[in-house]
Amino acid sequence: MNITLHINGKEQPVECRAGEMLTDVLRRSGYAEVKRGCDTGNCGACTVLVDGAPVLSCSYLAVRADGREITTIQGLAEEAKKFAEFLTAEGADQCGFCAPGFALTVLSMKEELSDPDEAEIRHYLAGNLCRCSGYEGQIRAIKKYLEAKHAQ
Amino acid sequence: MEILEYARPQNTDEAFRLIREQHGTAIGGAAWLRTNTKTIALGVDLAGLGLEYVREAGDHIEIGAMTTYRELETSRLLKARFGALFEATVGHVVGIQLRNIITVGGTVAGRYGFSDLNTTLCALGARAVFHPGRAVDLADFIEKGAEGPFLLEKILLPASVRAAYQQMRISRNDFPILNTTSAWTGSGWRIAVGARPAAARLCREAMALLGNDPHPSDEKIVAAARAAARELQFGSDIRASAEYRRDILPVLIRRALTEVRG
Repeated sequence: MNITLHINGKEQPVECRAGEMLTDVLRRSGYAEVKRGCDTGNCGACTVLVDGAPVLSCSYLAVRADGREITTIQGLAEEAKKFAEFLTAEGADQCGFCAPGFALTVLSMKEELSDPDEAEIRHYLAGNLCRCSGYEGQIRAIKKYLEAKHAQ
Repeated sequence: MEILEYARPQNTDEAFRLIREQHGTAIGGAAWLRTNTKTIALGVDLAGLGLEYVREAGDHIEIGAMTTYRELETSRLLKARFGALFEATVGHVVGIQLRNIITVGGTVAGRYGFSDLNTTLCALGARAVFHPGRAVDLADFIEKGAEGPFLLEKILLPASVRAAYQQMRISRNDFPILNTTSAWTGSGWRIAVGARPAAARLCREAMALLGNDPHPSDEKIVAAARAAARELQFGSDIRASAEYRRDILPVLIRRALTEVRG
């Protein structure tokens, strides 16, 4: 099937099979920042935004993305870089494999929730698993990042 | 999962025709397709039918079959009518990213044993509306399925039911070991139990025991909770044994009933 994806603001015609998932199509199209983690809809590493909402691309039919706006971490690179400084400062960025999906979910949360408390942050991020950090550093980093954004 | 042919009809008549006459398989959220090894000859994508809504319709609330879990979780209408019930029911399902994909219709049509939502819908006395407008009791459908091909369009909820949900999981992202929802309908109690690990069932003996008293005593609640554990069948799987499920159910039901009773 021939479909047209709008990835990070660019129109990109791609070919895919009807049952193919978005992760596979994106990675085949060169978007290697979309990580293939568990591949079963659990870990959050493959998170992308579809029309602004975070979804697991491993569980999202590629044909359904036809004509929709897809954002990978590269599409929000500037803001992701600012957030990454907070992760680094808190020692929360270790192997980095979960980081693209994790950062996209955080940036989506920033748009959706005005002033989330720690319980809301943990709830929003429950679908992003990290095998290195234990999450404490990440939570500190998110809180400080959001505080800095509010102060601006 | 392989889909050999794909169609995205733009109206429910066409979708139902493809399902009925060309043996099409309806595609709801498609969240579990990845882990399925089946081959589908014709996938009928329901994404173009406009079935994404939560709205009031007379004394009912209508939920479109393609409404996502995240939409349930954040619906102001559902929050106003049922408090935190839907947030509690679906908020434990993996993460927001998957809840932006999973649909109400896919869950109901799949009659999944592990479903949290089907348990709550059964307890609320929901009805499932199949194209072209045939409404059936959702708990009956979960138990018996449908005869022949069907297209689920929407779910109808009575708008004035009070209900509470309880569940047990090993970890947040896991499937439930057991879940239960208790509801006071205004004229009687309904109790549903799911993840036994089989699909949700009503506890009719326990419901009868509670009768039509909106404020049952603590003793009556305990008796009903124990009756529910006796009347249902439980199975064992990698998450828990049948005995464990039977032992914890009265505790969960007691908590849910007490929360609704106040």
